[in-house]
Amino acid sequence: MGVRGTPPDAEVVALVLAGDTEAFGVVIRRYEAGLLRFATRMLGSRDAAADAVAESFVRAYRHLASCREPARLRTWLYRIVTNRCKSHLVRRSVAEVPLDDAPPLADSADTEAALERADLLQLVERALADLSPDKREAFVLKHVEGLSYEEMAAVTGERIPTLKMRVHRAREALLKALEDHA
Amino acid sequence: MSTIDPRIHQVLDGELAADAVPSELRRAVVRLAAAADLLAAPPAFPAASLESRVMAEIRRPVPSRARRLMRWLVTPRAIILRVRPAWSVAFAAVVAALTLFTADDGGPELAEHEGIAQFVGRFPEAQSVHVVGTFNDWRPGSIALEDQDHDGVWRATVVLPAGTYEYMFVVDGERWVPDHLAERLVADDFGRENSVVIVRAARR
Repeated sequence: MGVRGTPPDAEVVALVLAGDTEAFGVVIRRYEAGLLRFATRMLGSRDAAADAVAESFVRAYRHLASCREPARLRTWLYRIVTNRCKSHLVRRSVAEVPLDDAPPLADSADTEAALERADLLQLVERALADLSPDKREAFVLKHVEGLSYEEMAAVTGERIPTLKMRVHRAREALLKALEDHA
Repeated sequence: MSTIDPRIHQVLDGELAADAVPSELRRAVVRLAAAADLLAAPPAFPAASLESRVMAEIRRPVPSRARRLMRWLVTPRAIILRVRPAWSVAFAAVVAALTLFTADDGGPELAEHEGIAQFVGRFPEAQSVHVVGTFNDWRPGSIALEDQDHDGVWRATVVLPAGTYEYMFVVDGERWVPDHLAERLVADDFGRENSVVIVRAARR
């Protein structure tokens, strides 16, 4: 299913496959925000996330003909980015990345509320970084990207009970971090 | 074993209404939901930079077959030397002698369940070339290739435990060079493109 506006994903894919390269810009604009957010949460670095998402879009374009269900383009793109993030994580530990590199809050006004929010975000990011990549991936897909367990299964290739278990473990770890902080 | 009340998961998974659980559990649900909301804040990226970068890449014309063939010829590739137990002892001796000739450290001695991988790449402008992979935890700097005759062709012979490994070259300490045209790649839904080397044990 496409998101936000027209034309639907399947139609855009058909245009690109028919030779309209520029139509791929629609795909990028439609999904880059979510994919960048997902990759940033997975990798802990905006620069690494931008690289991973850019590489993924290029690969998606080059292999677009192999997207068997263009109407489910979103899931397919998340799958490519997920694999690309895992490939990045193989090469370096997310723990090596300074959290300063993580995205700043949108409302960075120097107010007490904003500072509290920033502290809390840093705490949550640290707890997220301490999770194994599998649990981090499951939590971010479920609670940050809002995917259903069925969509997560399509993205990761894992069984739904496995994904549920990972999400549960991630929630437990995050809740413990929040309670310790309180 | 879950360390929190399973009803918290049920609420977050939409299997149970929030008002069906006690208030202390609802607080945990709200905390987790708030944490997720914080993480869902859009990262700050330069506007339009990613789209222009991707579009510039995909607008580039695909190289002709002849050009791709030329690239294939000059792209660094790994040459895998497999030593099978069924081969003669004489051949193993030749391999050992060749390795001795190309390595500074007097040549590798193969233990049981070890084999030899030879990495060769052409990098005419490089000051240094290393190979990284699953055999050295992707640590740059631990296995250097050498270009003793300064012809731009870099080589390293490595003794590894028998197994299958992914690898890349690191040129001048910062440029990671995947072997896109290698015959053996890990093709996992387009997420990986590392070369693959299979090392077989010289002796079993």
